[in-house]
Amino acid sequence: MPSISTKQFGIIQFDEEDVFDFPHGLPGFEQERRFLCVERPALRPVVFLQSLEHPDLCFITLPAQSVDPGYSLEVGPEERTLLGLAAAGNPVWEQSLACLAIVCLPADGAPTANLLGPVVLSRETRRGVQAVRDDCRYSAITPLQPAGPDTNSQAPLSVEKDRSDRLAEV
Amino acid sequence: MLIIRRRRGESIVIGEDIEIEILETSPTQVKLGISAPKDVPVLRSEIRVTRDANRAASSQTASPEKLSLLVEQLRDSAPSPNSPPAALPGDEKSNIP
Repeated sequence: MPSISTKQFGIIQFDEEDVFDFPHGLPGFEQERRFLCVERPALRPVVFLQSLEHPDLCFITLPAQSVDPGYSLEVGPEERTLLGLAAAGNPVWEQSLACLAIVCLPADGAPTANLLGPVVLSRETRRGVQAVRDDCRYSAITPLQPAGPDTNSQAPLSVEKDRSDRLAEV
Repeated sequence: MLIIRRRRGESIVIGEDIEIEILETSPTQVKLGISAPKDVPVLRSEIRVTRDANRAASSQTASPEKLSLLVEQLRDSAPSPNSPPAALPGDEKSNIP
């Protein structure tokens, strides 16, 4: 079983099938093509997006709807292709999507989340893309507000919640 | 800022190598054709904003205290963090073009 020694979690073991493949990386991180989602029950709803290329690189993310309960996103054709969802309207595929906002925790300021360019993951195809919106409805530095109820009810992104927790603590 | 009026089919030139042509216009959108050397990055401005936000987010040091604080803040009015996965972030309100 492959493993990686990370800054945030120490050594993590993972299955290849847990890996999310980002065909284009992320803006500014075009070479980072493989990420792992690490979740820890004590820190839910935070999802850590751990790079498998560079162990030091780990984005802290939150489900976009726990930042803004009314958040919605239309995944454009280009992103659908990158996600391997070219055939539109497959309900299983639509259900498999997760939408995460990358969080910035500045040393001397309030935390913000990027709702302009959320990371969209497909649990079905195990692919990911940062889908930068072209409307002006959301900011890349949206302040974090206390969330309303039921916003923590995302399905686990790691294949198995218990295992990801155990792995994170190895 | 330099402001220039152009019609469909017209173009502007920046320096020697960069040309921007107005291909189509509508009341809400303009379609541009950009010719530039390969080493000149051409980005939608929101991609640049996201790139900068990604870089800022990657250079942070997330101490456990800071993370716990963040989670507490989020849970302030969300007392049931372990409820079953009823609504995905990609539910019917979103993600379906």
